[in-house]
Amino acid sequence: MNTQHSVEEPILKYAADIGSLGPVTIVGSRTQWDVGGLPSPGSREIRAPAGVWSHQPEEMTVRCGAGTSIRELNEECSRFGQMVPFDLNPEATVGGALAVGRSGFRRLRYGHIRDLVLQIRHVDHSGLLVTSGGPTVKNVSGYDLCRLLVGSLGKLGCIAEVTLRCLPIPETTLWLTGTGDPFEIYNELYRPPSILWDGDQVWVGLEGVKSDVESQAALLKLDQTDSPPPFPEGGRRSLEPKALRGLVERSEGWLAEIGVGVVHYTTPQVPEPLSDPNKRLMSELECRLDPRGRLNPGRQLVAT
Amino acid sequence: MVPVSPDKPLLDELRSIIGDRARAGDFELGLYGKDGSVLEGRPSIVCLPVSTEEVQQIVGACRRHERPFIARGSGTGLAGGAVPVGDPVVIATAKMNKIIEVDLDNRVAWVEPGVLNLDLTTQLKPLGFHFAPDPSSQQVCSIGGNVATNSGGPHCLAYGVTSSHVAAIEVVLPDGTVTLLGDLTPEPAGYDLRGLFIGSEGTMGIATKIAVRLTQNPPEVRTLLLDFSDVRDGAAAVSAIIAEGLIPAALEMMDHRAIEVVEAFVNAGYPTEADAVLLVELDGLAGGVASGVEIVRRVADAHRVGNVRVAADDAERALLWKGRKNAFGAVARIKPDYYLHDTVVPRGKLVEVLEKVYRIADEYDLIAINVFHAGDGNLHPILAYDAREPGVLERVHAAGKAIITASIEAGGVLSGEHGIGLEKRDYMGMLFSEHDMTTQDLVREAFDPDGFANPLKVLPSGSRCSDSFGQHVPEGAWV
Amino acid sequence: MKKVAVKLGIDSEDLASCVACGLCLPHCPTYRVTQEESASPRGRIALMRQAETTGLIDQEFVEFMDACVQCRGCETACPAGVPFGSMMETTREALAEQTRYQPLWRRWGYRILGCPKILTLGSKVLAVLQKLNLLPSKLALPKIPLLQGRLVPSGRDVWLFTGCVMDAWMRDTHRAVQRVIEAAGAGVRFPDKQAACCGALHVHAGLGHEARRLAERTMEAFPGQAPILVDSAGCGAQLKEYGRLLDSAAAHEFSQRVLDVHEWLVNHLDALPPAHADAPRIAIQDPCHLRHVQQSHDPVRVVLARYVEPVILDDEGLCCGAGGAYSMLHADTAAAVRERKIGSIERAQVQEVVSANPGCLLHLRAGGVTVRHPLEIVDDLMRKDT
Repeated sequence: MNTQHSVEEPILKYAADIGSLGPVTIVGSRTQWDVGGLPSPGSREIRAPAGVWSHQPEEMTVRCGAGTSIRELNEECSRFGQMVPFDLNPEATVGGALAVGRSGFRRLRYGHIRDLVLQIRHVDHSGLLVTSGGPTVKNVSGYDLCRLLVGSLGKLGCIAEVTLRCLPIPETTLWLTGTGDPFEIYNELYRPPSILWDGDQVWVGLEGVKSDVESQAALLKLDQTDSPPPFPEGGRRSLEPKALRGLVERSEGWLAEIGVGVVHYTTPQVPEPLSDPNKRLMSELECRLDPRGRLNPGRQLVAT
Repeated sequence: MVPVSPDKPLLDELRSIIGDRARAGDFELGLYGKDGSVLEGRPSIVCLPVSTEEVQQIVGACRRHERPFIARGSGTGLAGGAVPVGDPVVIATAKMNKIIEVDLDNRVAWVEPGVLNLDLTTQLKPLGFHFAPDPSSQQVCSIGGNVATNSGGPHCLAYGVTSSHVAAIEVVLPDGTVTLLGDLTPEPAGYDLRGLFIGSEGTMGIATKIAVRLTQNPPEVRTLLLDFSDVRDGAAAVSAIIAEGLIPAALEMMDHRAIEVVEAFVNAGYPTEADAVLLVELDGLAGGVASGVEIVRRVADAHRVGNVRVAADDAERALLWKGRKNAFGAVARIKPDYYLHDTVVPRGKLVEVLEKVYRIADEYDLIAINVFHAGDGNLHPILAYDAREPGVLERVHAAGKAIITASIEAGGVLSGEHGIGLEKRDYMGMLFSEHDMTTQDLVREAFDPDGFANPLKVLPSGSRCSDSFGQHVPEGAWV
Repeated sequence: MKKVAVKLGIDSEDLASCVACGLCLPHCPTYRVTQEESASPRGRIALMRQAETTGLIDQEFVEFMDACVQCRGCETACPAGVPFGSMMETTREALAEQTRYQPLWRRWGYRILGCPKILTLGSKVLAVLQKLNLLPSKLALPKIPLLQGRLVPSGRDVWLFTGCVMDAWMRDTHRAVQRVIEAAGAGVRFPDKQAACCGALHVHAGLGHEARRLAERTMEAFPGQAPILVDSAGCGAQLKEYGRLLDSAAAHEFSQRVLDVHEWLVNHLDALPPAHADAPRIAIQDPCHLRHVQQSHDPVRVVLARYVEPVILDDEGLCCGAGGAYSMLHADTAAAVRERKIGSIERAQVQEVVSANPGCLLHLRAGGVTVRHPLEIVDDLMRKDT
């Protein structure tokens, strides 16, 4: 007896498309297409269904197909003063953003996008639908496969539908910029959404009710600006927040998220190696959840 | 009491590792057969390690002797997750209770699993930080236990549950390997094994060190107690507050009976004549808190609120929270035993499901008391009873099942924060299909192919290989 | 392990009232230092249940029961109101009567507390040995006075209970307390030798018969209606429980007259001299039997606040490990509990600590803590001003 909500027609079609035979590659908007390596040639390209299927403003949850763009999702949510803070290219699909699993630039306040996922329905290697998590804002029923799927590059299953937590759109948003010690600024502020630093200039994003934004801004000697700077898109590193203090070498362009540890580079970066036991666990997961290696072949999380 | 003769060679080996901290005395074994739930089992041996190396060696010894093992923190879990079934060795991590390092630059603290949740927050207070998950058992539950069950608490409404506050976990895997899941960086390479491990209730290994994220203490806090003469008005006010786009730090509700038992314990001046109270906390910067208080007052007025009491100082705040956090234990003032449930329903269905809960309790001739995290729809109906009354347990279990069914029918889930453990594993099929559960079992298998770690928990037996150590919950497991 | 038959005789309602929620665990000093279920209130109750169900106990059980300090911190922490203290007392009395739980040498030790002559003589011997450096320092005894002057009564308004060990070893504390009471405007009288010992330690050891005998005797030493003030929290708690212990009208009436000296003082504060300009920072370590049993630790704060800056410890409410005879019978556990407490005291950064119970004072001093009775400090500061 599965009493969770009924399955939408396009989801069933998506599952049938994936089927149980042959290599498949799921295509979104190709905004982060080369992360983890390009798909193997010869695999069938399949798109996940798009559409916001239900938005319950009083529950602050939204359910949509994985192929929905972030723009479409937030257009729907904003009708009720809500948002899903996926601060990525708005053309990216929700499923693609989750499969890649990179957080947005307001992570300091809103956490990893992983933490906004309540339920995922995915298609497994045999073409069957699997539901994990639950539709409510809080849930610990069963293993947390949702978190496992986020950042899995579709290697463990193809995300079909997600239920996400929405947040209220803040009353006021303000961006400041100037020069200053970003680490001191971080310690000065109360849970700011974003502090960015390129080794020279600092940008601070503030949100909340007007008086709070003003009082926080008054603590800093920075000038108002319209928006955050463009993010370099050549490469990305994930460092301990305190290691950002060591980023003084300005031979290449970078922009660091203070307090978070993400650094955006203009040039490609080498991924961090995995420990042996973790590599083994990850291989065990792959060979159990996709024994024939047919889901998104070519992409790699576990380097051999 | 039938004396269990412990596996002598295993006991000898364990003694060679941890000396007299491997226990097999009749009386003492009985103490590790229970957690905070009504379920009971019995371990074959109890181990009290003090280091990762000892845990690793104990797990190794268990493997050599083909004995399952089960980790235990403070033993306050409410779903029987730490109840030993299948004759396992209990590995109690309570003695591993050091705060290893507070790393303010990374805003994390490395702790051992036995550190008590509130102890960490108390130690962090002078530094201006805290550990956000705050289950009602916060003064006694361990952080290892929080990780195992992905604990919540009143303040997870605004701050999120344990998974959002743990950066990395050192784990002894079921095969005895030690590894670090996650790290202090924002996007660790590979799959999110850390996220998967959190909430896996000890079935994927034993946490031996945890890096928890530190949350800034809010500069401003306001706590309000609103009383309603009709519980339905209170529940409707909850939905209305959230619909206003306000997410309070906490939004708790207590019904009439709960108010009575709590007031008898804390004398906090809870309005004992009210049908329900809401405990609302707003925190953050001054402006947001002030506007939040206004919204709460306005919405409450529109829902026929009686009195609005704003805590004047920290002492009054602490008193109001003391009542809330001790509510479950205080139920014993009505009846000696209670069964505490934990389901989540959409906020909009609170009124409907609450009414069903009262009807179900009447039908089974039990007393239902409701104290719960209303803001996220997390119900905690308490069924109070006296276990010495013949036949009462059957009624309690039947009523419990009816409550779970009602919650799921309303679009809810099995558990909001207590976990599945032993208590709800056979109800998993109400929420998940066979294939969903098979997939979950495959994931567990990747960590523990032979089913050594906390067997018979989370997934119903029969969903693949989790039945290595017996088919069903042993008869004696029910008190 | 060898099992013997025992009937503890604990009220079944009481046994059923513990729901094993575990909220008592962090408030239990022995659990705090061992992190073992067997050393927790929840565990001890479960053990009592096992013993009552099977009717059998073994040495392991006896050791677990004996390891409890009986601070009763679990009682105030318990939302269900489980009467742990009386359950433990019942258990120990059953063990003392039905097993060899209290060997003869221990029984004699407790007996001496009720015999002032032997106690004084013994104390003098100890004092001489101490002067000659013949006592092993491991005993960590306080400086025992060789000669003590008599206490001189000053009126008939209130009684001051003097007790056994406290009177033999710490009579100067009584003198300080007397001066503060007198400054508050009352004349003090003292009981005769009949009131040699309140019997608290005997109850804790399960020697109920001896305790009741001492209680009967003590009551006779306080004729009239004047309030009976006590400057030892452990004795005060016991005197207040005579009603329950003896269950006679006279005993209930007697218990009604008993007040911790601070409870009396809060109503006479105005009569005391004004405060000194700079108040020292003083940490308050509540004796468990004042806080958890008498539940009247607040008056100490009120009285002290007039003269000092009271500092609340961050592990407020937790026992220091003294527990009457516990610190001698379980020296290692008691010292471990004290170490934890000393950590909290160090974090508080104070000049001095106060505790209103002689056992706690001796135990903390043995651990190197500068600690006095609250009224000794008040006496000092009050006299400095006049």
